[in-house]
Amino acid sequence: MKVLLVGGAGREHAIALSLTRSVHQPRLYCLSEMINPGIKKLVDSSGGEYFRGDINDPEYVVNVADKIGVDFVFVGPEEPNFHGVPDRLEEKGIPCIGANRAVSELEMSKASMRDLQWKYKIPGRLWYKKFRTYEEAIPYIEEYADSIALKPARQAGGKGVKVIEDFQVYLQEDKRRVKREHAESIVKEYMKGYEDTEYRLLIEERVWGPEYTLHCFTDGKSVLPMPVVQDNKHAFDGDLGMETGGMGSVSCGMNLRYGIDDERSIITEEEYKRSVDIVRMMIEAIQRETNKKYHGVVAGQMMLTSVWGPTVIEMYSRLGDPEAGNVLTMLKTDLVEICEAIIGERLNTIKAEFDDRAVVIKAVCPEGYPNRRELAKGHPVRINIDSGTGSILWASAELTDGKILTGGSRIVECVGTGSSIPEASLVAERLCRGFSLEDGWKVFHRSDIGSEKFMERRIALANMAREIYQYRERKGLLGKRMMWIPGKGLIEVG
Amino acid sequence: MAGILGIYLFDERWDVYNFGVFGLMALQHRGQETVGLEVVGKSRGKVEGEGLVDQVLANNKAAGHICLGAVSPYPASNGEIQPIKLSENVSVAIDGKILKIEGYQWDSMLSYEGNLRRAFKGESVEDLKEFFSRCRGGFSYIALNGKPEMVAGRGDLGVKPLVLGKMGFEGGIVASESCVMDIIGERVPISPAENIEPGETRIFTPLSAHAERLRNCNKRAHCSFEYVYLARPDSYINEIPVYRVRRRIGEILAEEGSVEADVVIGVPETAIPFAMAYSNSTGIPVEKGFELTGRRVRSAMKPNQIERLKGVQLKLNVISEAVRGKRVILIDDSVVRGNTLANIVYLMKEKGAKEIHVRIGSPHIVSHCPFGVEVPPEDELIGRHLPEDKIAEVVGADSFRYLSIEGFVEATGLKFEDLCLGCFDGNYPEV
Repeated sequence: MKVLLVGGAGREHAIALSLTRSVHQPRLYCLSEMINPGIKKLVDSSGGEYFRGDINDPEYVVNVADKIGVDFVFVGPEEPNFHGVPDRLEEKGIPCIGANRAVSELEMSKASMRDLQWKYKIPGRLWYKKFRTYEEAIPYIEEYADSIALKPARQAGGKGVKVIEDFQVYLQEDKRRVKREHAESIVKEYMKGYEDTEYRLLIEERVWGPEYTLHCFTDGKSVLPMPVVQDNKHAFDGDLGMETGGMGSVSCGMNLRYGIDDERSIITEEEYKRSVDIVRMMIEAIQRETNKKYHGVVAGQMMLTSVWGPTVIEMYSRLGDPEAGNVLTMLKTDLVEICEAIIGERLNTIKAEFDDRAVVIKAVCPEGYPNRRELAKGHPVRINIDSGTGSILWASAELTDGKILTGGSRIVECVGTGSSIPEASLVAERLCRGFSLEDGWKVFHRSDIGSEKFMERRIALANMAREIYQYRERKGLLGKRMMWIPGKGLIEVG
Repeated sequence: MAGILGIYLFDERWDVYNFGVFGLMALQHRGQETVGLEVVGKSRGKVEGEGLVDQVLANNKAAGHICLGAVSPYPASNGEIQPIKLSENVSVAIDGKILKIEGYQWDSMLSYEGNLRRAFKGESVEDLKEFFSRCRGGFSYIALNGKPEMVAGRGDLGVKPLVLGKMGFEGGIVASESCVMDIIGERVPISPAENIEPGETRIFTPLSAHAERLRNCNKRAHCSFEYVYLARPDSYINEIPVYRVRRRIGEILAEEGSVEADVVIGVPETAIPFAMAYSNSTGIPVEKGFELTGRRVRSAMKPNQIERLKGVQLKLNVISEAVRGKRVILIDDSVVRGNTLANIVYLMKEKGAKEIHVRIGSPHIVSHCPFGVEVPPEDELIGRHLPEDKIAEVVGADSFRYLSIEGFVEATGLKFEDLCLGCFDGNYPEV
């Protein structure tokens, strides 16, 4: 059996590990822009081949797959989906795990995703407004918007989102100015080069609560939900600093438990079920809307909010990174068999099993990440880890002339497992300390992710959001927002 | 003492001047004599002067995405206005006092600030870390260099408070008290700020934000006076809600100094929670006893006697209906010299109070604070020289009682050995 993996980041290293663990012992091939040292090893030991090239070029991917004569292709990242790589493969009769162009709209256009969610009245929908130009948005920002999230209307490499809390009237002028300026840079900078969506800017209401990612495999007919994972976007300890692609993620059991034998959890079983329902409804809606089958992974990037309980922040048309490392480490079922079931549209016959143990992933990054990647790039990596528990996933790291150089983003994702999240966190933490850069350029990681204090705070936050949304639910007010605007009357949204 | 504030945002488009102004306003209770705010961005500017935050900062402006500010209770004639210059490109705001610097011989001919400047070399983060790891005393600090990088931390005894808050993905805020985060930070439902541990320092650079431990020291000496008087009741000091301590003090006062009475009255503002808790636990009704004329000031922190009495008399006009013909339990937070208390008791008796039983929400003050809390010279301290019954006679009250030291420690919920109780018992931690 031959499998071609598209993409070369930490997520793809996790997929590669999972695929090569299969009893079918596939020969692994990989295609990515940089040679990932971890995937390279797996490719070599399985007798496959590593190709270096443009993963977003459907013709090129098809040619490589054709040349190898693969049994199926697994597309890791989102951009090949947006560029129609799965579509082209399917046309050529090459089976593919990856959302096609039409259904990946769920992730690609954040505006379409919300349109869909509102059209089909799917729970957990945030109030939003979309704009074609910056000028269109200005009067709106001036007049109405208070605490909001400003987003590029298209998925733009996870960059450009700004959340501004604006309820302190005495600071309003300064905050509105930054909102205007950021809205302008979203349209003029972050969306530059992405000409494939009508809307350019999205403004959403700002909500609070613990965030979590729920991944599902789907063959278009049924969904196979995975354990919930919590990713952490702030660059620095204590949830401080810029938004990143994710500095680390935690999981335990299906619903983010504190530990295997622990009653505490961030998400309740009921909330887990509701979240699965939401993702299932999103898949059904996008299929109905586009008349296309979804073969691959869908993820809801969710938040437990006081307004709705489980709420959709964004949708992924692939596995999250670093969350992929969590779910695939926990997956006990053969990934190759799951892929074959998706291709054959018989996913309902698979009874997937997941390990209950806690998994904590922490990313090690070069200083400069996320906003000054030119400074973060090109530093030789020094590794000093003792063999023991835990494993590593290579991410933005390139193997050149026997050396591993930083690519400017997260270098490596350290994976720890244990009977509780804090225990797994210590394993990941120890691994993180084994990475440095030969030229003395600094690296950083988040030591707080998965610690006891961290978990207690997340659980406290979840309890707080839960208390409010459950109260609203009892009152029949779930998802409803009411405003009394003097002179205009009662405005209801929801 | 002082109120200190540092705001470090990563996105250069922000202008934090107004954040600095309102942040310092939230710390105004920690110092009302001078204020200074330095702002760094594309350029570096500073606004400073004598007076309250809104008086000094309202009509001026400096722009940038990073700032350092302080309010201080010392008149400008007594020293430099904070934040002070430590070297050409480094400014620092300090709450409390650095008493010695390892490897440096203190020069008594130089001013306090002059000594700090002589002891400090360089301007990098490493230089600042090295310097503060040598400093001993009871202090918290926030320093800013020209890069700009910010270094903020607490001395290893943890005498003075310092907390870290944040502003979403934009950056961090370091301040003396957590109430600052409620006013200018983001709404965080669980707790507004993270406690910075004694000996810990927080470093902000354009590329990073992280914590380091400069010194390991197990001895703690958290300032008692923060809980009694200095901090705002909506703040957390060493992760303990100040309001909880003040409520508990009121309850313990009721247990320790029980007396028959018709009404409980607290001296505004600090003693109001004591009086409410005293009333709740005894069932004796609490009443509003005073009305304020003019601006709210912290009269006890005024630098001279006339100013203090002026403050008290304007702040505390007795509402006669609340006290006429009644046996009053009058609660105040502390007694330093006793004159303002005597004035209040006199005013209250004049308005017809039948009996006045004074209860004080702290133990007697017997010692001058080496860490910069405004306690006058020891020969001025009434509690150092007179017993309770004598003080009752001096101030004209029917009875007078302090909170016991044991009662105070219990109210904080902290261990005896983790508190600095020096102003109450004269024993200060070794620095």
